[in-house]
Amino acid sequence: MSERGAERFPIEKMRVNRHRWIFWSSMAGLLITLSALLATLLFLVWQATPIIRQSGAGFVFGRLWYYPEQMFGALAMIYGTAVVSLVALTLAVPVALGTAVLSAEYLDAGARLVVKSAVELLAGVPSVVYGLIGVLFLREWVYRGLAPFDPISGDSLFTAGLLLAVMILPTITTLCDDALRAVPASQRAAARSLGLTRAESVLHVALPQAAPGLLAAILLGLGRALGETVAVFLVVGRQDNQLPDKLFSWDALISPGQTLTSKLGGPETHLAYGDPLHWAAMAGLAVLLLVMTALCLAAAKGIEKLTKSRAARVAGQS
Amino acid sequence: MQFHRFCLLTFSAAFGLTFPLPAQDSLRVSGSTTLNPVVSEAVEVLRNEKGLRITIDTAGGSTGGINALGDGRADVAMSSRSIQERDRDKFPSVKYHSVPIGQDAVSLVVSADVWNGGVKNLSGSQIRDLYEGRLKNWKEVGGPDRRVVFLNREPGRGEWEVFTKFLYPDRNKPPMTSHPMVGSNEETRNKTGGTRGAITFLSTPWADGKKVFALGLELPDGNVVEANGANIASGQYPMSRPLFVITDGEPAGAAATLIDYLLAEPGQQLVSKHGYLRLDEVQ
Repeated sequence: MSERGAERFPIEKMRVNRHRWIFWSSMAGLLITLSALLATLLFLVWQATPIIRQSGAGFVFGRLWYYPEQMFGALAMIYGTAVVSLVALTLAVPVALGTAVLSAEYLDAGARLVVKSAVELLAGVPSVVYGLIGVLFLREWVYRGLAPFDPISGDSLFTAGLLLAVMILPTITTLCDDALRAVPASQRAAARSLGLTRAESVLHVALPQAAPGLLAAILLGLGRALGETVAVFLVVGRQDNQLPDKLFSWDALISPGQTLTSKLGGPETHLAYGDPLHWAAMAGLAVLLLVMTALCLAAAKGIEKLTKSRAARVAGQS
Repeated sequence: MQFHRFCLLTFSAAFGLTFPLPAQDSLRVSGSTTLNPVVSEAVEVLRNEKGLRITIDTAGGSTGGINALGDGRADVAMSSRSIQERDRDKFPSVKYHSVPIGQDAVSLVVSADVWNGGVKNLSGSQIRDLYEGRLKNWKEVGGPDRRVVFLNREPGRGEWEVFTKFLYPDRNKPPMTSHPMVGSNEETRNKTGGTRGAITFLSTPWADGKKVFALGLELPDGNVVEANGANIASGQYPMSRPLFVITDGEPAGAAATLIDYLLAEPGQQLVSKHGYLRLDEVQ
């Protein structure tokens, strides 16, 4: 019943009015969500202003961080975050893709449900549990396993990346599986009827069609990896100013390092109270982290949107 | 209309829950992991016997606790270092009131391979060379042929303050070094014990002689002192420190109850039980 119709029938008008709260309460929900996001962003940028004013780009590209001398350069932490996330993706993506292909293309509905539930259960394990497993076993295994390369200790960027790989695995797996399932069954049927084997239809039909969705899944996994704190904090070694001369160095990989999150999760946040510049630098790290995560999510959403519009075009043509 | 009102009520009730509850009259204690076992046990007793509400955390070490006190986020700071000029500069309006409840020492500790390799004591200048990365192999100080892994403590931890004050008595800022970092006493002991060639500094009672081993300190006159009760009490062992509980102004209410308990016999027994020196054992 339209609003104009309601004017002609008073009883209908009453019904419209009586249920108006549904619209307004959901609007309130939206506003609260948006203002929480905006307030967080504005607050952090406002708190970080002193360091931006003092160092500008030097804050992002500065190589040294030593707060007693008021040196605040975030580059080594950005490097640490990037390396840890890359290691995690390199290890997690092949496994996630394999699991997703199997569950989406080969398993029947019942078996798929079992696999998918198991994967999503894995995603629900709190990160501190992973961290404790990392401290108890993983760093010891890495220390022993890498012994031929003589690592300094079990804490390293590599250890953190390995632990993160396990943590982002379920996210990427389940999203990849969804992306593959979104490829219409008629496409597979057409491929099979043209004489392609199942493997060929996976390789030449399902995977290429799902590619943007798979990429979006990987980016969302990356977004999660960037922000992970507790587990990384416990096994990364928290060594400042570990910036190798080369962009990628094996030595740096198996050495302790510092990420944006391990710095933010550490004691300096407590020490920075009452020291405006130090506090601003910590807030600045949070801004950097937020920006990096936001870029990942935005890229994932962008790809998703692109795919949808392309799919609509394809559907329109047929 | 009634339904409308009902929804409004449920809504406000649901959102009301997410607003912070009014401040409770619980005592907030924050600071050093060194004091934490002692104060935690005292808190447990006071909770059960007097029904006091006390929360306790060690997130930022001694300096974190002092900052929390200055900032009004804690009522009592546990600190294994004394209040310094920079604390007063940071929070000029706070009247720090420090009460010592015992005495502790900081030891250099090494992993088993270093200890068994023959390193039993170090001099101040050797420690400084190790800390600043000039000594890279244990054989340079008579130990095994093994790379030195110096695990630094998080800045703000009481041990870090005592250690750097001992190495650099004339500088108010220690030089910049880059080492892997460890935080609480538990983490420090586990990671040092599990790393070949590792050295760090640790509150003495935590040096268990199984995972990590406390080194003797070679004084400038050539004498070696161990961090044992007698040497700490006589002041011969230099890396020693009083353990404080700190309030803003004279302690009152629940804070006074807690501090009185720590100073009385049961509290002092807790100090001794956790390996620190009681007040009456110190000079």
